[in-house]
Amino acid sequence: MSQNNIFSKFDDVSQRIERIDSMGETRPFGVVFDRLLSQTRALVGNREVILAGTNNYLGLTYEDTCMSAAKSAVDEHGTATTGSRLANGTYAEHVALEDELKEHFNASSAMVFTTGYQSNLAAIGALAGKGDHLIIDTDSHACIYDGCRLSDAETHVFRHNSPENLDRRLKRLPETGARLVVVEGLYSMFGDVAPVAELTEVAHNNNAMILVDEAHSVGCYGDRGHGVSAAQGVLDQVDFITGTFSKSFASIGGFCVSRHPQFEMIRLTSRPYLFTASGSPANVAVARAALKIIANDGKPRAALWARARQLHAGLRQLGFEPLSDPGPIVAIEIADELTAVQGWNTLLDQGVYVNLALPPATPQSKSLLRLSVSAAHSEEDIDQIIEAFKMVSTGKALRTAS
Amino acid sequence: MVQNTDEIFAQVSEIMRKHTQAAVNFSEDTHIAADLALDSVAMFELIMDIEEHFDIGFSVEEGSQLDTVKSLVTAISNKTAS
Repeated sequence: MSQNNIFSKFDDVSQRIERIDSMGETRPFGVVFDRLLSQTRALVGNREVILAGTNNYLGLTYEDTCMSAAKSAVDEHGTATTGSRLANGTYAEHVALEDELKEHFNASSAMVFTTGYQSNLAAIGALAGKGDHLIIDTDSHACIYDGCRLSDAETHVFRHNSPENLDRRLKRLPETGARLVVVEGLYSMFGDVAPVAELTEVAHNNNAMILVDEAHSVGCYGDRGHGVSAAQGVLDQVDFITGTFSKSFASIGGFCVSRHPQFEMIRLTSRPYLFTASGSPANVAVARAALKIIANDGKPRAALWARARQLHAGLRQLGFEPLSDPGPIVAIEIADELTAVQGWNTLLDQGVYVNLALPPATPQSKSLLRLSVSAAHSEEDIDQIIEAFKMVSTGKALRTAS
Repeated sequence: MVQNTDEIFAQVSEIMRKHTQAAVNFSEDTHIAADLALDSVAMFELIMDIEEHFDIGFSVEEGSQLDTVKSLVTAISNKTAS
């Protein structure tokens, strides 16, 4: 009988989550912030916690011009567009945002999507068609894998951040069909940066185009926040850049810019673009306000990097070995799932919220405590986070180095 | 170089042994994911090693259809012969 039960496929995950939930007062994957106090503080129940896992890298969610832009947009244009970009869902502000992105990235085309997830789904799913080849980094985010599934192309994986393996993988492909390599600028779980310049060179040498997802890196890397491609000097060579508005841009939505004007043809063919409502006026207005800050104000970026270095150094001093160099994301590998849950609970008890990241959402089946730094964190916030890790490490096998 | 399936099986077994902690005596009927306790990420790692060793390529779709060691050996044999 059980094979006829539509819910039986969830038995394993249900048992696993029950075990995780039973280990503490708060369910790690069901955290409710009862009240936001600022970009970096919230109440979980009655407990005040420092938010150290929000991807709010530039700390703009409470920034004055971003908040005013959202309020004015609601006053002027209402709460929602209630329609697709192809029908009634294109307002002058959507077009203005696309023009501003085009100018910022010095691109020939720009498209805005309703979420970051949809940006990759839309771009990858529409660009690659039957007979084409998608070659993606094995550590790619789920939206890249899902974009590949949405396309009718053949998908191949190459070894994480390895230009040599990509080169060999491309050389093994048949001659026929267009080729699109997909990588991320900054990987969300380990916080490691891709060698985008080398990967771009390898892609182009093998007659392939390259798409770089800068979801986590836009706003954080490069002199004007363009991302890792710009920081490595290849912004003008990368064929497509996707990104999200839900992290540094303090909004929700996403984009893809390209040096190829033909890219905009996907407005007529991309299902995640066509068959969904466009971004709300408030979300678009905040993305525009944040872009101005990202492009013209280096202060939030400088603050982010100062706090990122402080956190990285502090954790290392305690004996932890972050999985990447200093950056907006700090991931600490924990020996196993249950120890990671224990560590997560201890941190919450100390007033620090971080992300618990477990397989299969993590590369190499690692269990992680994942932190993201914000420009809005104070030096004292970071000290408190480090202090909390000290408490966690006592008596627990959390330290990975001495 | 065309190899017979026994040679391929021996090489595949050696590669698989590096990817599993399960004490398995490999046979053609061994289920790669279940018997070797490999999740989807670990399967990618195994397949990438096999691609490098035999200088062949599997698409994600092809990889997902490899269930037993026999299906893997047959697929390698077909790809190295073509």
